Amino acid sequence: MNIDVNKILQILSFNPDDPLIFTTGLFLILFFFFILIYNFLLKKTSLRIGFLIFFSFYFYYKSTGYYTSILIVSAVINFFFAKWIASTENFSIKRLHLFLAVLINIGILAYFKYTNFILQIFSDIANKDFSPLDIFLPIGISFYTFKSLNYVFDVYFDTLKPTGSFRNFLLYVSFFPNILAGPIDRASDFLPQIEKEPFISREDFGRAIFLICLGLIKKVVVADYISINFVDRIFDFPLRYTGVENLLAIYGYVLQIYCDFSGYSDLAIGIALLFGFKLMENFNYPFKATSIADFWRRWHISLSKWLLDYLFRPIQMKYRTLRTFSNVIAVFVTFLICGIWHGAGWNFILWGALHGFMMSFAMLIQKPRVKILTALKIYNTKFHKFFQVFITFHLVAFSFMVFKNRNFQTVLDMLDQIATFFHGEVFIQFVEQLPLIFGLIVTGYLFHFLPSKLEKVGIKFISSFPLFGKVLLLVIVIWIAAQFKSADIQPFIYFQF
Amino acid sequence: MISQELKAVILKQLNLDDFDLKDETIAPEVPGWDSLNHINIILAVEEKFNVKFKSYELLRLKCVGDLQKMLDSKLNK
Repeated sequence: MNIDVNKILQILSFNPDDPLIFTTGLFLILFFFFILIYNFLLKKTSLRIGFLIFFSFYFYYKSTGYYTSILIVSAVINFFFAKWIASTENFSIKRLHLFLAVLINIGILAYFKYTNFILQIFSDIANKDFSPLDIFLPIGISFYTFKSLNYVFDVYFDTLKPTGSFRNFLLYVSFFPNILAGPIDRASDFLPQIEKEPFISREDFGRAIFLICLGLIKKVVVADYISINFVDRIFDFPLRYTGVENLLAIYGYVLQIYCDFSGYSDLAIGIALLFGFKLMENFNYPFKATSIADFWRRWHISLSKWLLDYLFRPIQMKYRTLRTFSNVIAVFVTFLICGIWHGAGWNFILWGALHGFMMSFAMLIQKPRVKILTALKIYNTKFHKFFQVFITFHLVAFSFMVFKNRNFQTVLDMLDQIATFFHGEVFIQFVEQLPLIFGLIVTGYLFHFLPSKLEKVGIKFISSFPLFGKVLLLVIVIWIAAQFKSADIQPFIYFQF
Repeated sequence: MISQELKAVILKQLNLDDFDLKDETIAPEVPGWDSLNHINIILAVEEKFNVKFKSYELLRLKCVGDLQKMLDSKLNK
């Protein structure tokens, strides 16, 4: 048998177009060997941690190449700044160190992420042609920058004692399950887990398998499939389709972005749990939210909690004498920055501003709103709750439409098609022509709106399986995901009328 | 131990008749004490006891006991 070593090395080397995400076959193979070796090292703490750091760095290298060095620089900077902050009682020096740490972290992030965007704005103002600089964006940099900053902030606020171990801090920053897309785990939760001998209870193991299966289904079967075969096609050319198709594409996209992101988080949490690390929850049935503020308590929780603790609260406290207006200012600024964090583009900024505006507005009208609803005798009734969920969902859906479209004209085109060219009868054609897409969208939402305690029942059920049963379930789900992944792109019939 | 005066200010702001506030009680455990209402409670405490907290001091509070300790340290000065 001929083994092509060069080919293997090529597969294992850095390739920016082929990051080592959890849904790739290569990750599955590497993770299998990782778990084997890791289990062998369970009782040898230093070797186990060293191996985990090595694997994490390899995982990150595979997606970013030599830019992995920035991760090391970031870890060194934050480790020492936190140490310096804790080492002095002088408040001004503490504050100076915090300021420098934030400046350096945000400076690095801004250089990679926003340089071209800012230069483009200046060129537009000066009415000059602009050719973007060749700046590589290291994947995951927004996530690990915020993760590291969380450690520095907590040390500054004296709610966390800095770790004396650079090794442990390096593992916290580079930990492979959450380095590319979160959850943005808290150092205070993660660091104490590192040196403990991993113990995975039957319940934990069942939960890990449940989350990995759920994550694979959400990411590969639902998100990727409906994106390629339906959503993207409509968003690319909304004017070619009727209003009903545009509306279905928006519903499809909202489900897609949820399944994509929360599916990836489920995988990260499940994978980490398989070798004994508990990461924070990142999604909690966001479309059941009864307000935009409630949505942010359920959507990308690790980011919204970060923003709440380190951006919203400081602004709110600084301007607290303005009372409600301090909340309004704090929430607007926080969500504007939340938008910028998501990417260098006006669509993200507008999306963040929209959320900031919606929440600020809700705060300002809260008292009269409650009065009116109480007078109408519908306040806190089931009807009221249903109405709140319905409105919140559609506001969120509208905001995601803005999020996805770099060009705002597309948003207007889609809304125009819905308002003036709806053609509801095309819905029947859609269901007949694309039953799988329709089925996935309906099933996706149906599962989302089922009582959340079903998740606990599912975990308990899987936990009761013998090891063989769990492995078999995982193999079946991987097989199904592989079928969806390798399926040809489904022909999309342009509906004629 | 949470003083009766502090407890009364907090409960009044939250429109609660009674709630067992302990040292280790954290805001989300108390009905109505959310991130928005938090400033009203802090402002009410500052007004009632005629003290002024620094933002930095407020941001490191973890539980009601921390608030009591910080208040005591201000009043003893």
